[in-house]
Amino acid sequence: MATMRWLVVLLVTVVITFSVFPNDVEAQKKLYVGGTQSLTGPFAEDSAAVLAAIEDYVRYVNETKNMAPWRKEKFPADITLEVLWRDDELKPAKALSIYEELKAKGMMVARISGSPIALALKDKMWEDRMGATSMATGPYYLTPPQSCLTYYPIYTDSMAAIADWFKASWKETRKPKVAYLTADNAMGRSIEIPEMKAYLEKVGYEFAGTQYVPLVPTSPPTTQLTWLKEKGVDLALGIMINPGAQPTVKEMVRLGMGPFQPHKMTFGTGAPGHSAVLAEAMGPLGDGYVCAGSFRPMDDLTVLGIKFCHELQDKYRPGKRVTHIMYQAGILEGMIQVEALRLAMQEVPFEKLTRRDVLEKGFFKIKNLETGKISSTPLTYGEGDIEGVDQIRIDQVQKGKVVEVGLTPLRNIFTRK
Amino acid sequence: MGSHFGAVQESYAQDLAIFRTKLHWGALFAFLLFLFTCPLFFSDRMLTIMTMIGIAVISVHGLNILTGYCGQISIGHAGFMAVGGYASAILCAKLGFPFWIALPCGALTAGIAGLIFGLPSLKIKGFYLIMATIAAQFIIIWTIIQLRSITGGPDGLSVPKPAIGSIVLSSKANYFYLVMAFTCLATLLAKNIVRTRTGRAFIAIRDNDLAAEVMGISLWSYKLQAFFIGCVYAGVAGSLLIHYYSFASIDQFPFMDSVWYLGMLIVGGMGSTTGAIMGAVALRLLDEFITMVGPVLSAAVAPQAAASLALISHGLVIIIFLIFEPRGLHHRWEMIKAYFRLWPFSHEE
Repeated sequence: MATMRWLVVLLVTVVITFSVFPNDVEAQKKLYVGGTQSLTGPFAEDSAAVLAAIEDYVRYVNETKNMAPWRKEKFPADITLEVLWRDDELKPAKALSIYEELKAKGMMVARISGSPIALALKDKMWEDRMGATSMATGPYYLTPPQSCLTYYPIYTDSMAAIADWFKASWKETRKPKVAYLTADNAMGRSIEIPEMKAYLEKVGYEFAGTQYVPLVPTSPPTTQLTWLKEKGVDLALGIMINPGAQPTVKEMVRLGMGPFQPHKMTFGTGAPGHSAVLAEAMGPLGDGYVCAGSFRPMDDLTVLGIKFCHELQDKYRPGKRVTHIMYQAGILEGMIQVEALRLAMQEVPFEKLTRRDVLEKGFFKIKNLETGKISSTPLTYGEGDIEGVDQIRIDQVQKGKVVEVGLTPLRNIFTRK
Repeated sequence: MGSHFGAVQESYAQDLAIFRTKLHWGALFAFLLFLFTCPLFFSDRMLTIMTMIGIAVISVHGLNILTGYCGQISIGHAGFMAVGGYASAILCAKLGFPFWIALPCGALTAGIAGLIFGLPSLKIKGFYLIMATIAAQFIIIWTIIQLRSITGGPDGLSVPKPAIGSIVLSSKANYFYLVMAFTCLATLLAKNIVRTRTGRAFIAIRDNDLAAEVMGISLWSYKLQAFFIGCVYAGVAGSLLIHYYSFASIDQFPFMDSVWYLGMLIVGGMGSTTGAIMGAVALRLLDEFITMVGPVLSAAVAPQAAASLALISHGLVIIIFLIFEPRGLHHRWEMIKAYFRLWPFSHEE
């Protein structure tokens, strides 16, 4: 106990020291990008890749003042960008205090790291007129008010795109049977809206029902797949991330289900279940897997955007490259946030810039932002138009490789209220 | 009457009083003054953190009554919070009830849910009761998802901001005052509940339920009362949480929160009102500390160094407390007080 007194004295001294001396004195013109990340939990790998890309992109802009190799516009020379981020662990309560902290530090752009965070922060961000890029693309975004912007299609539109593509190649006279095989969380269940089912029935499907798979399954979803098999389902649609999609596809193959298996069934997911990740991990075992709105494989150097990703990594992280596909998402998020700041500063001087300016004169003024073909189409935003792309690319795994099989217009499934 | 040293109680009422000395009253006054003036010098972020701590404290008080005092371990507390939160949200958003009516209704609904899921406690205890309460968590969330037309299912439900008359509690400061008022009230109630006949019955059941029954304590009645009271607390916390977000979503009540609430109780000290507060404050502050050091660690060590830091640190803290201080922070605080009470005449060399 004698040492306890000294511990108390030490603690008080530390507290006083930190209170008296200011942390830093900022003289230069600085703007922040980044925002909340989910480095802990099921999206940890995705978020880490996104963060790495945002950091690399910001270094690129700071050094070159270029927006991208294929763009002529320049970022203001006297302004420095800095990445601010915190790990929200995909917990809404934590994201809330992080959001307040970053806002207090002067951040004028934000990001959403997953559906739980989106549901908790969406309205608050609108109240604060904070524009945000989002890794989650649930249909809940389409209910106004809106300041969260997506860079791949809303989940329900992805499902509609796969349904359209599948129906176009349907040869039999009977109606194809469709069912949901989706992640058992807010993200996965967000496709279960009446408008989605109505659309599927309208385009000629017979709806069989829904089966859920844990976001990260701890055992193969045998029961769910057997149910689909017994129901004679032709197309299973769902929103899953790769840790969920991979064991599901593996078990499908074991049960003889798939487009190239005895029981013909196609399994299609939205963007979070990127086909490039699945193809790389599973090879030919993943043949037939379909993904809508997915990013392209990281080794496809014919794509300008991916070449840019490689150039950034060559320069800023040689020896510790990020091969995860979500690096592309980070580049997109960086591009969108920085573009919003650049556009806003064309109308409002740095000293007078507010969050509302960045949202209304920045994010909402982004039109046909060329992303080097990382996104399905160039990105366009506006008030009431938060779904950046207007077409959805559909990829399929064939012989262990990702093959583009279609490009479908957005169906805008969710009724805009 | 001659003068005397220290706090000597001269009547039974004095001995029973919660605030017995001038120092106690002074500390209470200083604390309330601090709470009242917080919004004047704290940022929105600090107010958000303190608001979330307040809500956690209310919830942990409930769990403390149920687990700490009555010995009925529950790992479904977040589920009961969801019941209270959703009931309150539905009443406000769908039926247009004012917040002040919706909140007690939500708390009551959570209490009734507690009664239902508490029924197995009459037949089972220990590990089996833990499993039953885990089931409660999952059944509640599953039910919320299925009742889509009422609850909004996985898409959630927008909730209007609470209002007192014409004053809408939309600012951080307003809501902070509201939550702190409830936290103080919940603490006072919890402190008093355990000093009543009911509270003593809870403790008797926790210490030895067979002996308690032999003494004439109705296990059936008191165990259910503990579930009811504990879940009413959870309902209040859930309701305050939902109204703070202005949005009800199942993701706000994950299973792991139920585990962490129990962790807060372990860290603070089971069977102590002060311990419940200390545990909730300690783990929430640890959470915030981890959030702040994450990017620093990531930059200094490796990009992935910050990942799962909170999970690891929470788990580690709980293990350390279970091994080295199973009676929690409250016990350590009592020891510190005892030391300074005797200082400079320490027991130790």
